[in-house]
Amino acid sequence: MNGVHDVGGKHGFGTVTTEEQEPVFHGQWERDVFSVIGLYFAAGLCPLDEFRHSIEVMDPAEYLSTPYYVHWLRAAENLGFWNDLFTPEELEARITELESNEKEGL
Amino acid sequence: MRLLQANEVHDAIRTPTNFTRPDAPPTRFSVGDRVTVRNLNPTGHTRLPQYAKGRTGVISIHHGFFVFPDTMAHGEGDQPQHLYNVRFTVGELFGKHGGNPDDHVYIDMWESYLDEASS
Amino acid sequence: MEQITSSDGYTQPPPYAALRVKAIQSLLVDKGLVVEDALNEVVDLYENRIGPKDGAAVIARAWAEPEFRQQLLDDGTGTLAELGMTGFEGAHVVFVENTDTVHNVVVCTLCSCYPWAVLGLPPAWYKAPQYRSRAVMEPRDVLQEFGTFVPDDKEVRVWDSTAEIRYIVIPERPAGTEDLTVEQLAELVNRDSMIGTRLATPRQEAIA
Repeated sequence: MNGVHDVGGKHGFGTVTTEEQEPVFHGQWERDVFSVIGLYFAAGLCPLDEFRHSIEVMDPAEYLSTPYYVHWLRAAENLGFWNDLFTPEELEARITELESNEKEGL
Repeated sequence: MRLLQANEVHDAIRTPTNFTRPDAPPTRFSVGDRVTVRNLNPTGHTRLPQYAKGRTGVISIHHGFFVFPDTMAHGEGDQPQHLYNVRFTVGELFGKHGGNPDDHVYIDMWESYLDEASS
Repeated sequence: MEQITSSDGYTQPPPYAALRVKAIQSLLVDKGLVVEDALNEVVDLYENRIGPKDGAAVIARAWAEPEFRQQLLDDGTGTLAELGMTGFEGAHVVFVENTDTVHNVVVCTLCSCYPWAVLGLPPAWYKAPQYRSRAVMEPRDVLQEFGTFVPDDKEVRVWDSTAEIRYIVIPERPAGTEDLTVEQLAELVNRDSMIGTRLATPRQEAIA
């Protein structure tokens, strides 16, 4: 698909920014996202190209405005739905549950 | 999805997937052939970047007979094809933009992405 | 070129991210599809055990042993497999060599393909659109942003990783290193030199 992921030769993104002594992960949320996708891969959940496509179908505006591991977060969701690991309803319910637990300080 | 215990993860990630297939038919192209990239616009997954469409390059490597991502991504089977590396000049891809037009970009491409160049 | 995007944009999470991934993890664990120890193990493998030092050892040996260097160039995949450096994002590997006349650099314009099995996970810049969009179109400008100046009489070769072939650069061995051991040479092989955005580290900067 002619998606926003296909950035080769596009203008306007600016200069490359590098980080000295860059850590492998920039926070626990990156580790958490990586752990899910990493196990999907290790367990052979789906072909690698299905993973790539699960990112390509992201909302293009979100793709361009979010860090890399948000792309993987959407992949973790989409691959979960497509491979019947969980449903969108189950995910929303679990988010609500975790949110209310947090508010109650559980 | 296979349930992996922690002590199984290392071996799992160290086991390579085999992306090649046996019983390859003859290749359509040989190293050194001039090829033009087809102007394909599938709505599903593809590994053909926009910037190479319609451009002409030279086959630099024949990698082998590989599963086809455009079908693999959609549960349509491996439908293997010959995979090549194609060399393009930066000038062919981007005109005079970007410095030295004699620099090269090398792109891996499946056989069905390519036509024989017309001249 | 004007800087129009902030680097934080590529590592700072939006507010919804942390909770959504926790929800996914907890669903997978509750359904018996994954175990928590395995989630931790895959993170530990790539955070602490597999990384650029693995690739650096291979390149240092290639500098020191011409036969091994030739083996890598002839059959990268097989040579790495003998060293146990195979697996995910490393099923097929091709080594490309920098010389007096050629400078190689690797990118993935469509996603973020990278030789995990040999170099570990890629740095954030490799996965960001600034690098991915421009490396194929204006490679010399991009290399200059890394402080890497390629003379006009040297050809730049950009490898766009569109298939399952992973490309790794063998950088040029720095001058004045004839007396170093393979272990000392490995100290000169920085991660970016194997991607091709930098040169190997000069001896005086790497070894005190």
